Amino acid sequence: MSSDALALHGWSMLTAATVSASCALVGTLLVVRRMSLLGDAIAHAVLPGIVVGVLAGGRLGGPLVLAGAVVAALMTVGLTRGLRAAVGLAEDAGSGVVFTTLFAAGVVTVSLFASRIDLDPECVLFGILELAAFDLVSVGGVEVPRALLTATAVLVIVAGGLAATWQLQISTAFDQEAAAAAGIPVAVVTTGLLSLTAVATVAGFEAVGAVLVVAMLVVPAATAELLVHRMHQVALVAVAVAVAAAGLGWLAAWRWNTSAAGMIAVVLGGFYATAVVLAPADGLLARLVAKLALDWRVAREDWLARIWRAGEQAGAAGASVVRPRPRTGLERAAAVWLRLTGRVERSAGRVRLSKDGAREAELVVRSHRLWETWLGRHADLPADHLHPPAEWVEHHLGAAMRERIEAELTAGEADPHGREIPPEAGRPDGPPPVV
Amino acid sequence: MNPGQQPLVEFHDVTVAYGRRPVLWNIDLAIAEPCLFGVIGPNGAGKSTLLKAALGLVPVVGGFVRFCGRPRRQVQGRVGYVPQRETVDWDFPVNVMDVVLMGTYGRLGWLRWPGRRERAVAAECLERVGLADLADRQIGRLSGGQQQRVFLARALAQEADIYLLDEPMAGVDVRSQEQIFGVLAALRDAGRLVIVVHHDLRTAAEWFDQVALIDRRLVAAGPTAEVLTADNIQKTYAGGIELLEQLGQAVAERGRTE
Amino acid sequence: MTLATFGQPALIAMAGLGLTYNTLVVLGGVAAVGCGAGVVGSLTLLRKRPLVGDAAAHATLVGVAGAFLATGRRDLPTLLAGAAVSAVAGLLVLVLLRRFTRTREDAATAIVIGVSFGLGLALLGGITARGIPGGGGLERFLLGQTAALTARDAALLAVISLLTIVIVTAVLKELLLVAFDPAFAAATGWPVGLLDAGLMALIAVMVVIGLPAAGAVLVTALVVIPPVAARQWTDRAGSMLVLAGLFGLTAAVAGVAVSSLRSGLATGPLVVLAAAAICLASVVIAPRRGWLARRLRSRIRGGDDQP
Repeated sequence: MSSDALALHGWSMLTAATVSASCALVGTLLVVRRMSLLGDAIAHAVLPGIVVGVLAGGRLGGPLVLAGAVVAALMTVGLTRGLRAAVGLAEDAGSGVVFTTLFAAGVVTVSLFASRIDLDPECVLFGILELAAFDLVSVGGVEVPRALLTATAVLVIVAGGLAATWQLQISTAFDQEAAAAAGIPVAVVTTGLLSLTAVATVAGFEAVGAVLVVAMLVVPAATAELLVHRMHQVALVAVAVAVAAAGLGWLAAWRWNTSAAGMIAVVLGGFYATAVVLAPADGLLARLVAKLALDWRVAREDWLARIWRAGEQAGAAGASVVRPRPRTGLERAAAVWLRLTGRVERSAGRVRLSKDGAREAELVVRSHRLWETWLGRHADLPADHLHPPAEWVEHHLGAAMRERIEAELTAGEADPHGREIPPEAGRPDGPPPVV
Repeated sequence: MNPGQQPLVEFHDVTVAYGRRPVLWNIDLAIAEPCLFGVIGPNGAGKSTLLKAALGLVPVVGGFVRFCGRPRRQVQGRVGYVPQRETVDWDFPVNVMDVVLMGTYGRLGWLRWPGRRERAVAAECLERVGLADLADRQIGRLSGGQQQRVFLARALAQEADIYLLDEPMAGVDVRSQEQIFGVLAALRDAGRLVIVVHHDLRTAAEWFDQVALIDRRLVAAGPTAEVLTADNIQKTYAGGIELLEQLGQAVAERGRTE
Repeated sequence: MTLATFGQPALIAMAGLGLTYNTLVVLGGVAAVGCGAGVVGSLTLLRKRPLVGDAAAHATLVGVAGAFLATGRRDLPTLLAGAAVSAVAGLLVLVLLRRFTRTREDAATAIVIGVSFGLGLALLGGITARGIPGGGGLERFLLGQTAALTARDAALLAVISLLTIVIVTAVLKELLLVAFDPAFAAATGWPVGLLDAGLMALIAVMVVIGLPAAGAVLVTALVVIPPVAARQWTDRAGSMLVLAGLFGLTAAVAGVAVSSLRSGLATGPLVVLAAAAICLASVVIAPRRGWLARRLRSRIRGGDDQP
């Protein structure tokens, strides 16, 4: 790669990353506040503001254009709310009317004045990231893309604005009414967020076009939300995701010779999809594993408890009994596993629980009978209907809950079917040991 | 109407969960005779959820609901429903008659539009709830009590045997309350079973023949006088069943909370 | 983009007369599409999902580019078939995200809009950069351009649109019931999920056949704005549907007609502006629900308060 090409890639990626970071920061708050589609609306609606700014003699990224964009963004919100107040139109429908209209007006104006301004419908839709490295200005002797300067200025404004009001923003996002009650000027905070969104959008608009800004606003934050939970962590992860996607997207576009803006959005989508599958707590994979783990535990506990009960009926819980027939494939696997790990001993078609096995089984049976007893006391439920719920709850009743139930019972009380409730393991009788 | 002496409605060990978290535990309740039946309990006790479970609107994760011994799907047309008033958008572009006619859709089936017979039925139902002169009015321009009566008329137009009403007296003026109660009592006298979710203990004692006290589990059910005892009411309204909350949490998180 | 690219020299030979005929048929097709969009859009508006069409619309681009890449053909039916597949796929992803992730519904919609459009642009960009023969001109699906429509294309659009209207009319009773009170509908045995899925499919179809006139970015306006305008004039769902159809028809025809006056103007934005003008008038002057009427009423009521 020649040094020219390197500079081209370097500058472009840096510009894309800077723009993406600004969008990801405001996007974090938009997503949390359920304003994602408002972000989409603003990204479209700033177009007429930009066009007016340019027609009035401003440069893309210049203060005149930024001001025009902020005005257009606030107009979108104002008009949407106005429609609701004036004719009771729901906000999503209202913004659908307003932003398409403003965007259409912007596109028509751009088309009509295409010869007079350096904007055209292509640029509006695709952005001009590819051209960023060709429009250079000298800063302290270094030739820097003008777009990068704009993007940096925007990032400073957005990051500074959010940092200065972060606590207020979070309080407002978390609970608007409580925030208002606590004296936070919610309307001002929200207007500030919308203005910063407009500013970030202008930079994003120039880089990737009006439509794809929404991907830059929403996808990083939505991805981060699946991975971490505290607001400042979400913001940081969102920025990291945005920067990584900008770099990778640019490289992918170069590799396959296609639209950089499009590829950045695609890479963002890829990150989001990965998070959906792999997120540690909420990911599809983690949930699948958790479900399988629960099924596996239930199968093991059921198998032990069945042998224990059979023994109890035969006279002693530890007695050897005829091996029950596994009801499911999983239970069959559990039976094998429990035998291999020494919880169950098998000989000549008969099985008996080892000491460890018996202790685990007792815990399950104990949970089962405690629950039957509790339900029998607190719910109006016939005794013959108590078994099925307990069959399910026995796998979920933890030590603390068992203790609570036991505290309600008189010592030595039997379950509603008159059967003994086994004591908590390692505690033959008496109160639990004080820790 | 009721061959084989099956209960009109039977909840058999019904457990209902939102997501994975159970909100209603092991409800076991059978109503054998036509009557005015109140489902009473505090806010968040799961009263509406019980109705929705009966109607198949929320998933039943354990147990089952039967109408006259049969699953709901087989008796669809015999069960009338009055949802809570706030669940719909009253700015919807329909008038009172349109809404009441919706009660006849179940019988009409696909592709057929309400005809003269349906209009006559709907008009008669409006008459019964005292709204005959408002048939052409857009539903948003009605008072809360009138809106509630429109919903009641729609259920009447279903010409059902069993009626399930979700808080029909909530936010309704006294005159409408009395009118609604009159219609429900008339239904009962005509041999229909009317199940009403209700939050007000005082009026419950005077309105309902039978009641069920519910707070996430069934506390007691039966004739009003026998059930509404100080002890049962204490059990229902005192709370104190954190164990169910804890357990619900454990189930939702697929584990045990130790 | 001329008719020559469609390899129909005969039509060109027919010169002026043929073109006039073509323009008329195109206007007819666009009118039918506008009408259908208004009708179906009314139902999504009443079902409180006005922007679901937007996700489908932005997803169409992948299908347009994908169909071209897969078949090498660029006739309208092929491209629109691809668009329909990807529009439905986009809605399916939306449903799955809602069902299986914690992501909020509005964010999920925005994600589908942004990422699917990005993929579409990347495919289009790749086609353009490689100079694949016949690949030029696919951009007209971004903002709409009816100049390239043939009479046959327009007739196809009209037939699909009319078919959609017929289907909506057939199940209107059920769709309105579900839109008004889904819980009651489900409790009385109607398959709410199926009806909702059907409505989604109808909106996907409308968005797809709206592409030539309004383009992927703005076609959503065609299903949102006319119904909003229509709602102002009436309190009955039936008349609202008819009015929305008329408004959509008018907007589509007006936009396409204006764009034909001057070359280089995409039709989509003009169609949207025409619809917006109708909407603005409706919001202001409609009797009873309109802004003026409300102002007047509150004036009078204010007067009543002070005897």
